[in-house]
Amino acid sequence: MIHIIFFLFVFLIVAPIKAQAYLDPGTGSYITQMLIGFIAGSAYLIKIYWGQLKEFIAKLKDKKKKDGAKKNK
Amino acid sequence: MVLKKINKLEPSSFRDPSGHIFYQDDYILRQVNDIYKKDLDLLVNSGLMAKLIDKGLLVSHIEDNKIKKEKGVIVIFKADKIPFISYPYEWSFSQLKDAALVTLEIQKLAIENGMSLKDASSYNIQFINGKPIFIDLLSFEEYQEGKPWVAYEQFCQHFIGPLLLMSKVDADLNKLLRIYINGVPLRLVSKLLPKKTYLSFSISSHIHLHARNQSSYADSEKVSQNQNVKLSKFALLGIIDSLESLIKGLKYGDSDTEWGEYYTFTNYTDQAFQEKKQLVEEYLNIVKPKSVWDIGANNGEFSRLASQKGILTVASDIDPVAVEKNYIAIKNSNEENLLPLVMDLTNPSPAIGWNNQERKSLIERGPSDVVFALALIHHLAISNNLPFSHIAGFCKDIGKNLIIEFVPKDDSKVQKLLATREDIFTKYTQEDFEKEFSKLFKIVKKTTIPQSKRTLYLMKSL
Repeated sequence: MIHIIFFLFVFLIVAPIKAQAYLDPGTGSYITQMLIGFIAGSAYLIKIYWGQLKEFIAKLKDKKKKDGAKKNK
Repeated sequence: MVLKKINKLEPSSFRDPSGHIFYQDDYILRQVNDIYKKDLDLLVNSGLMAKLIDKGLLVSHIEDNKIKKEKGVIVIFKADKIPFISYPYEWSFSQLKDAALVTLEIQKLAIENGMSLKDASSYNIQFINGKPIFIDLLSFEEYQEGKPWVAYEQFCQHFIGPLLLMSKVDADLNKLLRIYINGVPLRLVSKLLPKKTYLSFSISSHIHLHARNQSSYADSEKVSQNQNVKLSKFALLGIIDSLESLIKGLKYGDSDTEWGEYYTFTNYTDQAFQEKKQLVEEYLNIVKPKSVWDIGANNGEFSRLASQKGILTVASDIDPVAVEKNYIAIKNSNEENLLPLVMDLTNPSPAIGWNNQERKSLIERGPSDVVFALALIHHLAISNNLPFSHIAGFCKDIGKNLIIEFVPKDDSKVQKLLATREDIFTKYTQEDFEKEFSKLFKIVKKTTIPQSKRTLYLMKSL
């Protein structure tokens, strides 16, 4: 789904292309980073929190297992 | 102490006013100018430099106080020697991929320590003992919160573009870097990539959208309009993470069907193959070289006879699949002293860049102590119509000694090459081979490889 949304997003942004004799491609690179920064940053944030959440759940499960093992003893 | 020895400037070291590389005797020296003082202080005081060297990500630099500094020079570092300089257009897919990942790892560490890479050129990476390592000390600058990554475009042109082309179009396309010294233009990468790549968020962003923006925002009026826009640190880290994930997910070619039995057959019986190996070892023991260039090395089977003795060995082959296989083997078993490279001997890397001096030709990077030319002569002489005199001349240019195998015309491999063409090679005889090579080399040893029709020679340059 995210691919399709982005596909449309790209097409809205990219057209039309202007050819300039005095190219300054550096600006285009800055703009690209601004445009994708929000999505890439959000994805990164989710990735980090998701990792932390998984770690937290794993620890919780581990703790429960240990507690269960202690009770059985 | 004032040294009277002549300092030789590195011709490619002119882009950055922060300093330059020069050579004195056998040492690589890096001069740092006062313009770079603030950044160098941060690089040292933040602990980033020590961390990078410690992790094997940056070539070791030690301050040299013996050399007299000119006015405006704050420090001179003595850098670790790089055994053989290679270029990204000579690397296999995984070599370029690993070089890209190391660059990003360094950038992440730099950001953690309040710095950022201002230069992400693939020429800043070299391979030492099978591993990619960053060589440019002056590529770091203070990170300013809100500022986009200044080397993002360069990184995409030097790494992302060529890697995508190698992965999705053809494994040989990193050779475009030989034409485009500042990296493959993104508009070209965008044009060459299959349309389905528009469906990938990261490829669309880093290549297609990026290429279009380069053209549409080339207008200087728009520059001033966009100067106040800030990119948060999280967004920057997100972009770097996106680049990293994209690279990690790239695979070599569309399928891996050829891999299983690639080049497992030879024209030898097992015993003859072992005898040939023993002979090569015997010849190596006579010369005791410090460097070997195995030209036409395939996947490096014979190169290892040298590298495992601690000899620096460059194993080049025309076939990117064989070189890729060799590199993966080196990586998996942490092999040292072996550098695989993709090289077409009939069109070896030329000198390129400003004044034809920025990147050296293959010949300029020699000569090596020994050249291996095993099971190669027929490919050059018959497939490429090269007279023996020309082959001998090239071997002399690149090596002081030569271990060369003569493959006679009645060998099945030669017959295969002649199967679809007229035999115009009346001079392809062992006599003519010896006659032409003897003009430039002294034949030291000559042995028929048991159970074969082939002969192995050890020759010394005259």
